[in-house]
Amino acid sequence: MMEGRQLISVIDDDESVRESLPDLLKECGFDAQAFSSAEEFLASDQISETKCLILDVAMPGLSGPDLQRKLTQQRQMIPIIFITAHRDETVRPRLIEQGAVECLFKPFSETDLLTALNSALRVS
Amino acid sequence: MTESAQSGKAIPVDAESSSTIPLETSILTGAVPLESILCTEELKRRPSRPPDHEKENRALVALVSALADSPSTIFQTLAETIQDITQCDSAGLSLLTRDGKTPNVDGKRFYWPAIAGMWNPHVGGGTPRNFGPCGDVLDQNRTLLFRHFERRYPYLLPVIPAAEECLLVPFYVAGKAVGTIWAIMHSDRRKFDAEDDRVMASLGKFASSAYQALVHIEDLKIQVAEREKAEAEVRELASGLEAKIRRLVEANVVGIVMWTLEGAIIHANEAFLHMLQYSRGDLATGRVRWTDLTPTEWRDRDERAIAELKATGIFQPLEKEYFRKDGSRVPVLLGGALFERSGKEGVAFVLDLSEQKRAERALRRSEAFLAESQHLSRIGSFSWRVATDEITWSEQLYRMCELEIGVPVTLELIRTRVHPEDVSLIEKMKMVHQASDGGNDFEWQYRLLMPNHSIKYMHAVAHAIRDQDGQLEYIAAVQDVTARRLSEEALDKARLELARVARVMSLGALTASIAHEVNQPLSGIITNASTCLRMLDAEPPNMNGARETARRTIRDGHRASEVITRLRALFTKKDAAAELVDLNEATREVIALSLSELQGNRVILKTELANKLPVVKGDRVQLQQVILNLLRNASDAMNNISDRPKQLVIRTEPSEGNRVRVSVEDVGTGFEREQMNRLFEAFYTTKSDGMGIGLSVSRSIIENHHGSLCATSNEGPGSTFSFSLPCETAVASPNGIAAEKKLAARQE
Repeated sequence: MMEGRQLISVIDDDESVRESLPDLLKECGFDAQAFSSAEEFLASDQISETKCLILDVAMPGLSGPDLQRKLTQQRQMIPIIFITAHRDETVRPRLIEQGAVECLFKPFSETDLLTALNSALRVS
Repeated sequence: MTESAQSGKAIPVDAESSSTIPLETSILTGAVPLESILCTEELKRRPSRPPDHEKENRALVALVSALADSPSTIFQTLAETIQDITQCDSAGLSLLTRDGKTPNVDGKRFYWPAIAGMWNPHVGGGTPRNFGPCGDVLDQNRTLLFRHFERRYPYLLPVIPAAEECLLVPFYVAGKAVGTIWAIMHSDRRKFDAEDDRVMASLGKFASSAYQALVHIEDLKIQVAEREKAEAEVRELASGLEAKIRRLVEANVVGIVMWTLEGAIIHANEAFLHMLQYSRGDLATGRVRWTDLTPTEWRDRDERAIAELKATGIFQPLEKEYFRKDGSRVPVLLGGALFERSGKEGVAFVLDLSEQKRAERALRRSEAFLAESQHLSRIGSFSWRVATDEITWSEQLYRMCELEIGVPVTLELIRTRVHPEDVSLIEKMKMVHQASDGGNDFEWQYRLLMPNHSIKYMHAVAHAIRDQDGQLEYIAAVQDVTARRLSEEALDKARLELARVARVMSLGALTASIAHEVNQPLSGIITNASTCLRMLDAEPPNMNGARETARRTIRDGHRASEVITRLRALFTKKDAAAELVDLNEATREVIALSLSELQGNRVILKTELANKLPVVKGDRVQLQQVILNLLRNASDAMNNISDRPKQLVIRTEPSEGNRVRVSVEDVGTGFEREQMNRLFEAFYTTKSDGMGIGLSVSRSIIENHHGSLCATSNEGPGSTFSFSLPCETAVASPNGIAAEKKLAARQE
């Protein structure tokens, strides 16, 4: 963990995302941690440290929206950026309505990611 | 006279029974002329003895009393009288006969019924009519005196002793000569004279009477015998008939009653009494009268029957009712006759019609039920006798067709109602069922085009039965399904829309799944590339990190490529589940599945499945998908055809190279030559709503089965799609194995 940097937690069952996204976040000046499932994240001690959550929508076990509801119940107000490989335009407004900062369709550009991160961190 | 002649016997008259001399043939000519044996004229010249009238009278009286007392021996008595009066040696009678035993004026022979004197042993003998002394007498119609007639008639030689002289007198009955009486002297002891001539003539007259009396007696005997025989027959018949009638009455199969015209019942059998619940005791009181048994409203029928009886002696069977003892009524059939035409008593048979009436009522009720339920359910029915082509409609069917009930059903009549496009369907169906000895149940749908141009949709279900002669007959129920059909059409439309949506949806789902699989690696690639750029842009550049992320980018690129390859394999290289498949059977199943769809599209399906088709090895369901796809394509290709029947032929046959071919031939729009190459490309379609993957997938399946799928344009309209597959034995051949190995190698 790097001193003074904001921690971004990445939760995705796809390994290539867990592998690549934290590296990019670190290059952009964030601290980053990857989890392969919502359950793994909930079991960690990183929840309160996390300033923003980059969360996959469809995962085995708890899905992204499931985790979102759970965190709301636990009053953990972590800004969430959803990412998904299913380009379903109807999903995005629903997720934003339920409190997500943004929903990015894979593959997304670095610019879109940083824009979303900025608005997330500004909110918090 | 000769020694040999002395031992002779009388000549049998009957030529047939003669074993010695064939009479008729041997006597055609005489030994000497007739004149030489006649000496009649001498009678007048000879001295005549005086007449002995007293003797003569005595003789005649004796004869008359003999005729009265013992007519059967009158001829013998006459012969003896002749001998007595003429004092001759032999005397007798010759009578014309046919059978040699009884007199007959039309006889061709004479016989000797009675002889007195020396010739007595010759009784029963005789002479021919046309060649003999008796014949000569009849021919000349007068008394003749012969001397040694055996000189002319040698057949008399054996009749001994020989006749020196013979006096022969004809006698007549009703003007017809019937015979002679004669007297014979065997020596010249005495010569016949004029007195003998006179006496013989007198006796001849008596002979005539005797003859008549005898014939009359014989006739009487015959008549009596005949009458006795007839009486016996009548007696026998009567006793037999009586027994039969008694049997009929006592069997109680039918009611039998004997009555008088006034109303009394004289006798009735058990069946009759049982029918009306009366006992024999009731009958004995005489209070049971048939007039009282008849309800008032049937009285006039009784009166008509009585009038008929009086006029003709019988009354024709009629139906009426009787009261039973308990006052209830029983329907009956009765007929009868008077015993004697003008009598007052008669007999009648009575049949209980209760059961029949009940059955008639039940039948009427069930017919009414049927008619009513057909009316309510809008179901008509008809029967079709295949052999005679005889069609009968129910009333409801006439109503449904808006035709007058009872009009004879002909093909022409049917044509006035069946929709022109469906006439061929009906005729074809008719031919198919006439050709097969089948007897399978079947159903079909057709349309009626009514005179007001409205269309009715009909659904018919036919059930095959055999009538009592074993002839095939179909009983069919026809339902007007117009309302259902219209809502079905609406439903079909909705279903088609739904299917289109579903297809688009499934395509969307497919795309989404492909996108998801590809987007994951793409996401990694883009993120890594971004990271890589940042590492290179850093001061100093992070070369190791850049290298690592670039490597990951390449790896994810490969991963995306693999996804595409895997998807292709999913569609095209799916391994066929190997089982033995009978393509005829598989085809039949597909036809069964799609028949109603084809019928709905008015497609006439012709099936030509080869006998004994070899089996193939493969995935039955996949092959059926191909057949189904070809059938649907063919049906779709004929959607807009209206100028010709939408005929579709599905055919299976063995083909060259130990293969089996399945082909589907349509008469649809067909395709252009330049379209040919593109037909099997994925996403190529000529249909407005098609996705264009059917033929492409079909080809993949067929090729995966080592077969080939091809399309040809017909010489006429339309096209033929067919595929051929190697037979099971061919798959097992070395070539087949090699092909499989090659395939396996490619997959590794």
